Amino acid sequence: MTVPSRLVRFTSLRGRLTVLYAGLFGAALLLTAVAVVFSVSNNARRQVESELTAGGAVFDRIWALKASQLADGARVLARDFGFRAAVASGDAPTAVSALTNLKGRLSLDRAFIIGVDGSVTGAADIDEATATSLWYALDSGQLGGVLQLDDTAYQAVAEPIMAPQLIGWVVFAERLDRKEMRALESLASIPLSAAVLSRNEGGAWRSTDTGQRTDDRLVKLIEGNDQGQTGRPRRLDTPQGEAMALTKPLTVIGEKSQAALVLRYPLDLAMAPYRSLMLSLFLVGLLGLATLVAGSWLLARSITRPVSALDEAARRLRDGGEVQVAVETQDEIGRLAASFNAMASGIREREGRITTMALTDQETALPNRRALEAALAAEAPEDLFVAAIGVDRFPQVRAAVGYRLAGEMLRQLALRVVALRPDDLCARLSSERLILMMRADCADGALEALQVLVADLSHPVMVDGQTIDVGLSAGLAAVADDHPAPAVERASIGLDQARAARRPVAAFDAAAYGDPASKLSLMSEMLAALDSGEISMAYQPKHDTRAGRVTGVEALVRWNHPTRGFVAPDMFVELAEETGHIRALTRWTLQQALADQALMRQAGHDLMMSVNLSGRMLGEPDFAVEAIQMIAAAGGRICLEITETAVIDNPQQALAIIDQLRAAGISISIDDYGSGLSSLSYLKQIHADELKIDKAFVLTLDRSARDALLVKSTVDLAHSLGLKVVAEGVETAESLAILTGMGCDLAQGYFIARPMPLDGALAFLAEAAAAADPQPVKPARRA
Amino acid sequence: MRVLLCLLLLLAPVQAWAGDLVVEVRGADGAPVRDAVVTVYPASGVPRGPIKFPWPLTVAQQNIQFDPFVLVAPVGAAVSFPNRDKVQHHVYSFSAGNRFELKLFGKDESRSVTFKAVGVAAIGCNIHDQMVGFVKVVDTPFALKTGADGLATIRGLPAGAATVRVWHPYLRAPKNEVSSAVTAPASGAIRQSVKVDIRAPAGGHMH
Repeated sequence: MTVPSRLVRFTSLRGRLTVLYAGLFGAALLLTAVAVVFSVSNNARRQVESELTAGGAVFDRIWALKASQLADGARVLARDFGFRAAVASGDAPTAVSALTNLKGRLSLDRAFIIGVDGSVTGAADIDEATATSLWYALDSGQLGGVLQLDDTAYQAVAEPIMAPQLIGWVVFAERLDRKEMRALESLASIPLSAAVLSRNEGGAWRSTDTGQRTDDRLVKLIEGNDQGQTGRPRRLDTPQGEAMALTKPLTVIGEKSQAALVLRYPLDLAMAPYRSLMLSLFLVGLLGLATLVAGSWLLARSITRPVSALDEAARRLRDGGEVQVAVETQDEIGRLAASFNAMASGIREREGRITTMALTDQETALPNRRALEAALAAEAPEDLFVAAIGVDRFPQVRAAVGYRLAGEMLRQLALRVVALRPDDLCARLSSERLILMMRADCADGALEALQVLVADLSHPVMVDGQTIDVGLSAGLAAVADDHPAPAVERASIGLDQARAARRPVAAFDAAAYGDPASKLSLMSEMLAALDSGEISMAYQPKHDTRAGRVTGVEALVRWNHPTRGFVAPDMFVELAEETGHIRALTRWTLQQALADQALMRQAGHDLMMSVNLSGRMLGEPDFAVEAIQMIAAAGGRICLEITETAVIDNPQQALAIIDQLRAAGISISIDDYGSGLSSLSYLKQIHADELKIDKAFVLTLDRSARDALLVKSTVDLAHSLGLKVVAEGVETAESLAILTGMGCDLAQGYFIARPMPLDGALAFLAEAAAAADPQPVKPARRA
Repeated sequence: MRVLLCLLLLLAPVQAWAGDLVVEVRGADGAPVRDAVVTVYPASGVPRGPIKFPWPLTVAQQNIQFDPFVLVAPVGAAVSFPNRDKVQHHVYSFSAGNRFELKLFGKDESRSVTFKAVGVAAIGCNIHDQMVGFVKVVDTPFALKTGADGLATIRGLPAGAATVRVWHPYLRAPKNEVSSAVTAPASGAIRQSVKVDIRAPAGGHMH
């Protein structure tokens, strides 16, 4: 198995087993086939060999018989006294007639005489060279064999003519033609082909019967034989295929000639009888292979099918599916399947327990937040709402009754919720909060239903015989609302918002909540806007009631955002304070104010420039140094407006900085006096130059006697402390008149002028200056 | 007459003006060659007059063989062919100039043939192929065939240069003969060795 697995990567056991068995059987089959073919062909070869050997022996016999027949005839002639006398006495006509006579009687092809002197009688076609060669052969005792005359080969026999000494030889010859060969072939039991091949000195080997040139391979075989190799049948490759050949050198009459007998038999013919045997063997083998492949396929499948089923089941188990495998057998695989089933159900059980634990609050056995969120995700978001219900003053309650009873109380409340709204899902969100997934037709309906629910829930809870009085608040959020925070979070925030508003139930208010992420991005945008000019300065004139003219302006920051539009200064200033960017904003504001003040001065308007200063800046001593330098460098007249709260965090430092600024000639104004945490103690501590009454009092001054009284007493208080008084929010002539009457020093408001950009402010100032003097008049233009 | 001839031959060596020639014929293997015919022709010419040899000019047929195998006969002499066998013989020769044919049917029947041509007459029997014999017809008195020791002693040879010829039916040379020169001494004997190549007779007859 190691070999195929190394060669091929099997992805299935079935394929592997099938290939293994088929391979083994195929190998065995191949070996058998090779053995059969080998032995059959060996057998056939041996048979051919023995036939050829026998054929060779037969040929030898026939050749000898023929030779002796010829020799008999020749001897009869050579012994004839008259013939001898004729030859010895040179009576050629008599000798030739005797030769012709015997030739006819014995049906010879050739009969002639070679004299001891080399003369030829009875064969006119033999030239002198041939005769000489023949003489030497005969003289050396070659008296029988193949004789080559011109291109014709003969079997020849020579008989000496003794008179009584040798006077010549009678030569009898018969042509070695096809007929002769056929006669020889007919004597063999197999249809072999016989041929006598011969060649003259230096000539090519040719067949004596057909005269064809002999194939080189056969020549090699013959010449190999001549070189003393044994005369056994040997293999011969012919154009018609492999054959067995037996070559026998034949004696020749002639000094340099050679001749050989060749018996041939094609192996193809020898193999023919075995062909059907081998074919049926092959077919049987093929059938066996097919059967084996099918059988091993089926066997492998019976083994691998349960394994595949287990494999598939394991995959499904991994993906969390419900898995049971059918146990079909009692063997190892069956036991494996049973074990697998046990394991799978064990896993399912534990998984179920873990899931339950993960989705349940351990203290109250209620569903937890995760369970509720999963339920929310499964529901269609339309008309789906989430309500957060919280126990007011829970830490105090818990401190009073203990953790266990506090938890039990929450469970009791949840049971009430479930009893009241059986169709909704109630889960525990935190120690003091329940969360409810509910459906309603609309937001108002949901809010109403929640109000009803909270009212129904809000009665004392009995825990361990103790009655606990509970106050509940609730927040509501619609799941479908487009808001980055999840609905559960929004509902919880809604609960906080309800508590802040001291209402039992509130829907989540996105506007009130804001968006922390957008605030951060607003800050980075603000820094960019300082450079790009999106943030600009506006100036609101301050009217001196006694002089009857504008003596100062308040610098106000304006931000015209390209996408958000006008951003309220309160908002981004507060943000800048929270995020630490207030110093950059303040520096920029101060610089801009100083620069614009210089421009106004150039235009002939020497005005006090009021700049709002964040309380944060009073916590930074180095800022005071920087501001003093800036103002001194610009030669500006600056009044810094601060609120009382600015000194709350670190009063000592703040008051020191204020003193430092005043010492440098910078006026200090207390802004928005009267609103917020106005305290007389601060008023005493802050060494200010000016007090600015909050516009909340000024706006309604002309209609409210109480406000007028408050303003009047504040003006008097400030004056008595040595402070100038500024009223902002002056929107009517009546208010201005009242304030003037009260002795208020400066007035600021829409009635005087709205905040204007520098160009507008310059134009306003120029117009006022032209129209004025010396009588203070109402400003001609209301911006 | 025959006794007289013998005496004459015995006397010849003692002649003061003549010497003897001993010719020793050996084969290539060094073995003595018998039945080789030695003929000597003195430069001064052969003596005139009829030639006589001390051996009988007879070729008998005995035991289906010719006896002797080789007979040296002077030219023109008549050689008799007695049949001493019980069977019949048909003796013939096709040799040029000396052709004859004798049908000898009876025991002790004898015929004679006159050999008129100098040379060799090969004789055979038409009935018995194995019977081969030779009559060497010579025209010099100095002729002798070697014995079993391969020696032939020619006596009374006139002193001076002479040609020695050695013939044997199976000698391998033109006309089965080799010749050499010799100087005969005035007295005493000289020895002449001749080496010849003898081969088996063609046609399978061996003697």
